[in-house]
Amino acid sequence: MSEPFEPKIVGLLCSWCAYAGADTAGVSRVQYPPNLRIVRVMCSGRVDPLFVARAFEHGADGVLVAGCHPGDCHYLSGNNYAEERFAKFAQLLDFFGLDQRRFKLAWVSGSEGARFAALVAEMTEELRALGPLELKVQ
Amino acid sequence: MTTSLETQLQRRAHDLLAEGVVELFLGYRQGSNPLRVAPFVARTPLETAKLVWNAVCVPNLAGTLAKHAGQRIGVALKACDAQSVRELLKLNQLERSRLYLIGIGCAGMADPEAITKAAPGRVTGLAEDGPDLVITTADDVVRRERGTLLLTKCATCIGMPTDFCDEWLGEVPPTPPAIPAERFAAVQALATLAPPERLAFWSEHLSRCTLCYACQTVCPLCFCKECALTLERDHPRRQAREPMTIFAYHLMRAYHLADRCTGCDECSRVCPEDIPLNLICRKLEQDRSQV
Ligand code: SF4
Ligand code: SF4
Ligand code: SF4
Ligand code: FES
Repeated sequence: MSEPFEPKIVGLLCSWCAYAGADTAGVSRVQYPPNLRIVRVMCSGRVDPLFVARAFEHGADGVLVAGCHPGDCHYLSGNNYAEERFAKFAQLLDFFGLDQRRFKLAWVSGSEGARFAALVAEMTEELRALGPLELKVQ
Repeated sequence: MTTSLETQLQRRAHDLLAEGVVELFLGYRQGSNPLRVAPFVARTPLETAKLVWNAVCVPNLAGTLAKHAGQRIGVALKACDAQSVRELLKLNQLERSRLYLIGIGCAGMADPEAITKAAPGRVTGLAEDGPDLVITTADDVVRRERGTLLLTKCATCIGMPTDFCDEWLGEVPPTPPAIPAERFAAVQALATLAPPERLAFWSEHLSRCTLCYACQTVCPLCFCKECALTLERDHPRRQAREPMTIFAYHLMRAYHLADRCTGCDECSRVCPEDIPLNLICRKLEQDRSQV
């Protein structure tokens, strides 16, 4: 099959900033690749690393977690927790040899529509080059 | 002749029960063969005669101890088990005032697999003689230096501050001033590989995983009543042994244990597929030692 590989990306976006950012991108008609499947969560602090692991388990090639910029979290410190958790989690992903580009934690405000689109475009490009996530078992 | 640790332990356990200091005393009893011991709870002074202390007291008693949380219980601990108990106390799974901890000077525990390799055939007896272990099999007697038969973890034992326990029996092990670097040699080697090679390494090992969850069951620090990671026996993803399902389990298990794993190596000991889970544990320990 010669069809180019199109990665599936799961986006876990906080309702107040990143999701609003995605909305802004839509409203202002900024194009970005359709590879992202968005799940809205109330806060990046709600995202359990288990969600990310499960996303990979069920076929995601990459996962993007995005929330409000530091200091802007609607619940004050949710994103600080997210940052701490995912720093640890990313270390473990690396330990098991999962490419670091498959997981991203980003801060996007509600007005950063264009930036959000660029972020998704960049991640999609990287994952296209990386190929599908497979555990080859000999 | 000095009294053996076993006799000393039996006496202390006997007295603690007789004086009513504790209601139960947890230690080991002889298992189905000379290379096996099993956790054992003595409830009366008389029962303490069944307690054993030998070179293969491998299982970590901390998990069994936690199952008896709430009762006044005495327990015999080697340093690595004491580490687990300390962690359980930190996480409020045990109450210090209800415990009576007897630390036991540990010269390293022998790996039953190493013993069987050194002395093939059915082992009928195991004795300590100075620095040596004397293994009796059906048709041979083999003498080996204890140090050559130890569990991997014992080579870089990190000990335990003695004041943690209520009393000590036997020689107080010198606590190494710093964590010996060799403890992390294997994880260090893994870290130098390129990520795809690391992924291949783990894919190969984890492809053997049957999701039996023995590693989770045995871990003294895995104490949630209901585990978010384990799947029911008849769950299709468990039955199919999907590589990504296995991967997600191990990734999340590591994440959940990141702050608490004490490196007792029980998980890799019980894994029927010999998956080097202890590498994951050393990695967690290394990460913690670096912050
Ligand atoms: S790790 Fe240390 S305390 Fe534990 S069995 Fe080995 S030598 Fe004994
Ligand atoms: S993960 Fe393994 S080494 Fe760590 S505490 Fe649990 S059983 Fe012991
Ligand atoms: S004990 Fe071994 S085979 Fe069983 S679930 Fe754990 S790693 Fe897999
Ligand atoms: S509400 Fe956006 S990160 Fe907490």
